[in-house]
Amino acid sequence: MKRFLDGFHRGLTWLMAAMVGILIIPVTLQIVSRYTALIPSWIWTEELSRFLFIWMIMLGSMVAVREGTHFVVDVLPQLPPRPHAAVQIVADLGVLVFAGIFTWYGIEFVKFGWNQTSELADLPMPFIFAAWPLAGLTWIVFLGEHFVRNFRIVAGRAPA
Amino acid sequence: MMSAALAPGQAAIVLFGTFFTLFLLRVPVAFALGLACLPILAFEPRLSPMMLLNETFKAYNSFILLAVPFYLLTASLMNTGGVTDRLVRLSRSMVGHFPGALAQINVLLSVFFAGISGSSTADAASQSKIFIDAQVKEGYGLSFSIAITAVSAVLAVIIPPSILMIVWGGVISTSIGAMYLAGFLPGILIAAAQMVTVHVYAKIYNYPVYPRATLKEFFYAGWISIPALLTAFIIVGGVLLGWFTPTESAAVAVLYTTLLSVFIYREMSFKQFYDALVETGRLSSIALFCVGTASAFGWLLAYYQIPRALLENVSTWGMGITQAGFFIAFVFLVVGCFLDAIPAIIIFGTILQPLAASVGMNPVHFAIIGIVSLAFGLVTPPYGLCLMISCSVAGVPIRFALKDTLIMLIPMILMLAAIIIWPDIPLILPRLIAPELLK
Repeated sequence: MKRFLDGFHRGLTWLMAAMVGILIIPVTLQIVSRYTALIPSWIWTEELSRFLFIWMIMLGSMVAVREGTHFVVDVLPQLPPRPHAAVQIVADLGVLVFAGIFTWYGIEFVKFGWNQTSELADLPMPFIFAAWPLAGLTWIVFLGEHFVRNFRIVAGRAPA
Repeated sequence: MMSAALAPGQAAIVLFGTFFTLFLLRVPVAFALGLACLPILAFEPRLSPMMLLNETFKAYNSFILLAVPFYLLTASLMNTGGVTDRLVRLSRSMVGHFPGALAQINVLLSVFFAGISGSSTADAASQSKIFIDAQVKEGYGLSFSIAITAVSAVLAVIIPPSILMIVWGGVISTSIGAMYLAGFLPGILIAAAQMVTVHVYAKIYNYPVYPRATLKEFFYAGWISIPALLTAFIIVGGVLLGWFTPTESAAVAVLYTTLLSVFIYREMSFKQFYDALVETGRLSSIALFCVGTASAFGWLLAYYQIPRALLENVSTWGMGITQAGFFIAFVFLVVGCFLDAIPAIIIFGTILQPLAASVGMNPVHFAIIGIVSLAFGLVTPPYGLCLMISCSVAGVPIRFALKDTLIMLIPMILMLAAIIIWPDIPLILPRLIAPELLK
């Protein structure tokens, strides 16, 4: 299971990095096309870059749940490992509710966009909306891993 | 809007109450903002949780915010590609002979960095690695070293280009070019205040000094830094001259820095480039994901007309421009302790904008007060991102560097007060260079 999750995590990270790299291309094309006649000024460069950007954010949000890097505000003092794990379970439950909403309504979101295409480039919108349910599901999977780890710490069966 | 089932007051209590409870329970800020919308969405017959997806989609589907990953990428590329090294050398030749040499270099490098990158977190991350260890080795206090690195990092969003200004321009529709010009002087003043602070510390604790660089060294350091310094002119000048939009200028910064690193300074491998992409993706997506849920939260605030309800009282106070300026700065300073700057702009910038307009404050003056205050929020706990980054690089808890950080903030806050009292400080450059942008 751990190996599967590691692989999945690496895949998502790679895709996210690819999005960042590819993003530069349409924006550059947009500038080049404005000042030279080398390429026609495609109107879809702006739209395509926005869609890549959406995927980058959603992929990054998935990666960050596993890595535990979403911004958290530490108002409470540093707790010993077991109470800390217990608080973490409660916090993760909150994220789980949100993940459920994204999954459930995300599917609706994709259905809603089923026959839509984007305004400029005629891309099918489900490709973009699919990022939401996918993010929801991925969060649930990664949260499951957190729950197992934290429950074991609370139960005293694993070193913190 | 009469048909809303909840009164503004009730909705505000539910929204803020849920948000603060979740956030005390250590739910990540981005999720806490989204979850806080749920009770309302469940209760209000005309709304459904679908709105969360719609609003996040609308927030991310923005060409303006695309500048965020580009500026972060520029910063990572500068560090791996040797641009930063040249700028360190130039800074050293300029201020190395001042008391507290290395710390002065730290501040000056942040100024140069700020002119190229628009991201304070990138500045804090890279300079913490460069300076904290090096300063401690030379006998500077650890807490002083962390604090000066963190507070100088805030310059990156005050001196143009700046991610916060781009976001501000997108949300509150103020000219980004005018804000770029307006941010320059306040940034230099705050940097000067920091250098004075370092000087005082250096005198008290007897921090080391480097021998004065010869003129030849200075010119050589300046010469090899020219390609790097040009970046600032390309980015800021390009926007002012209308060559490209702020987002495009950020993409140009990426291309230019890549060119420098690969062809001129030749210090970057493919692996390093990939690592920079991953780092950029990670940092920008967690910040931007937050923007999405903050927009949903802000949308609900607007739906119940909560900002108007809040301001009804304030506008009867009869404030002038200066009082309103202090009030705005106070709100942003407090908010900045708890919230990331981007969601803070979206939520509170839009709330305060009518107040600023009603007292006749120039929108650019308003923007600079807001941005400088929020920039200070980057080093104020509990949620001070730059301070958190510097402390985590140094491997100590935040409270360790708290005292020195707060001491250094005092002169900076005096500068903020000056900016509020004398609107000319931010406004003089745009007035001289591009008066048409101020209209």
